Amino acid sequence: MDLPGPRWKKGNDGKDFSALAAANPMSVIVAELKASFISSKPVAVLSGPGGGAILGVEPEQAVILNRAAFGHAVEIAAAQKHWFQLSPEEVFYLCHVLNCIRVESHDKKQMSDKQLWNHFRSMSESFPEMYKAYSHLRFKNWVVRSGLQYGADFVSYRHHPALVHSEFAVVVVPEGAAFGNRCGRMEVWSDLLCALRASGSVAKTLLVLTISSGSCELSSPDCLEQLVVHERTITRWIPQQCREQRSEASRDEANREELISKKESVEFNLWGVILGFSVLSSLLVYKLKFRQ
Amino acid sequence: MPKPTRAVDHRRRRSGRAPAIAAVAVAAEDDGEEHHLNPFLDAAPSSSSSRVQFRKVASRAVWLEEAGAAEVVDSKGKLWLTTGVNRDGKLYYNVEEIGFLAERGALVLLDYEGETIGMEEIYGKIAGGKYGCSWDAFQAYKHLKLLGYIIGRYGVPWTVKRSHTYSVTDASTSVVETDQIQSLNRVGGASNDITKLLKEMCIDDMHPSFEVYLPNSKFKKTSPGDPSFVLCLLSNKPPSREELETVENKFEGIPLKFCHVDNGRVSFLSSNKAALPSLP
Repeated sequence: MDLPGPRWKKGNDGKDFSALAAANPMSVIVAELKASFISSKPVAVLSGPGGGAILGVEPEQAVILNRAAFGHAVEIAAAQKHWFQLSPEEVFYLCHVLNCIRVESHDKKQMSDKQLWNHFRSMSESFPEMYKAYSHLRFKNWVVRSGLQYGADFVSYRHHPALVHSEFAVVVVPEGAAFGNRCGRMEVWSDLLCALRASGSVAKTLLVLTISSGSCELSSPDCLEQLVVHERTITRWIPQQCREQRSEASRDEANREELISKKESVEFNLWGVILGFSVLSSLLVYKLKFRQ
Repeated sequence: MPKPTRAVDHRRRRSGRAPAIAAVAVAAEDDGEEHHLNPFLDAAPSSSSSRVQFRKVASRAVWLEEAGAAEVVDSKGKLWLTTGVNRDGKLYYNVEEIGFLAERGALVLLDYEGETIGMEEIYGKIAGGKYGCSWDAFQAYKHLKLLGYIIGRYGVPWTVKRSHTYSVTDASTSVVETDQIQSLNRVGGASNDITKLLKEMCIDDMHPSFEVYLPNSKFKKTSPGDPSFVLCLLSNKPPSREELETVENKFEGIPLKFCHVDNGRVSFLSSNKAALPSLP
């Protein structure tokens, strides 16, 4: 599959952060996180219906948590502890996989993995497949954040969001008997093309993660081993732009770049011209936003 | 050198106290991809916390468990003009106001023994849901408050006029205190009742949370006027048409805005009935 490469952000010296990322592999950072947290096992407090948890950590731990890109730091003045808001998927991953935090319910009792699993399941029907998708990507050392602002379930980054733009807009689709009748995603054309257009307009590739359940029981985290993840990217193929390409698997974004980089004036049809203008205006808008 | 640049940035941020500048910053964050401090280059924890203005003088308030709010015992600055409710000449802050102010170092919360209540306990009060708020409602409150909006709890008047009763018996004192306690939270019943609150949440996933006024230097608690809009918090799913119309009918005349909070990220939506013209 010929996908566009990562879009690294740049530092003040004009160089991109790919070298910095290579020098700090995410797998190493996550291992450091686990090692740093395992002795103190900081306690997270559930943050109520629909939410995840709030975690207070020491300053040194906050540095590692930031680098590993878990949670959102809460802005607070002059505090000894640093506070992070974690999503349900992040909470369960830190508990269940990394085993480096504890979670307390509101009556100050520590929750087991199974209790936590069923708590999140009771809060959100889609938690099993969402968590399976999240942990699948995290196991491959991708950084995963909420994708709601792009109309997707997640966005995934090759490294820390401060170093690189997200590459994929991820949509999670449940499939199979255990999920009952909850397979309403991507089942009508407007849903699919909506997701495709939305991700394309923000320079991300649409990644559909289908979670197949077979007939396993979802009431315990043990079902995670039986859930199967299928990865599939969906792209638009524009024949007008591919008549000059020899490669069979030409790309939307690649064609746009090619269009921009052409020095000779070549006669395009109407759609090609319109697309060129829209690409240029998109780039202009993007630069303006970036300047903000 | 990167350090002088960062120092300049901090200075500019710190000096930019006007709500307009904050609005631009928040709007920029909202429109684009998330802004991230680079934890591989910056000194992440200290620089991230330095974005929050530290106030040199903090007000003090005493937490009142039965009221689910804090009584201000020592007020500093002008925050009281647009924050908190007044009852019998006293100022009270509810949990989201406490959280917002405490995060900014503008409030020290005390228990009845005079001990400081720390951030952990404040967060627990907000997230626990027992005091008429939730973590997501707190995020929405914080977002709008930082932009300069004036925000009150839905159904909770800013001030209450009360005639003095000179012949005070135990029964009448109890009644007055009960009224006072209820009026701090929600008209028509104390939302501190967990069962009732859960019922309210179960009836629909959409409940009015705040009455919001535009940033306004002439705002008066004694005559606030109608809010610019009522903010309804959404949780699980987008509302159906029926749910939308039910809530809209309840607030004839006052605009509604809907708010979804996704792990701290606040999104606002409007939904208006449309009647397209039949074109010639």
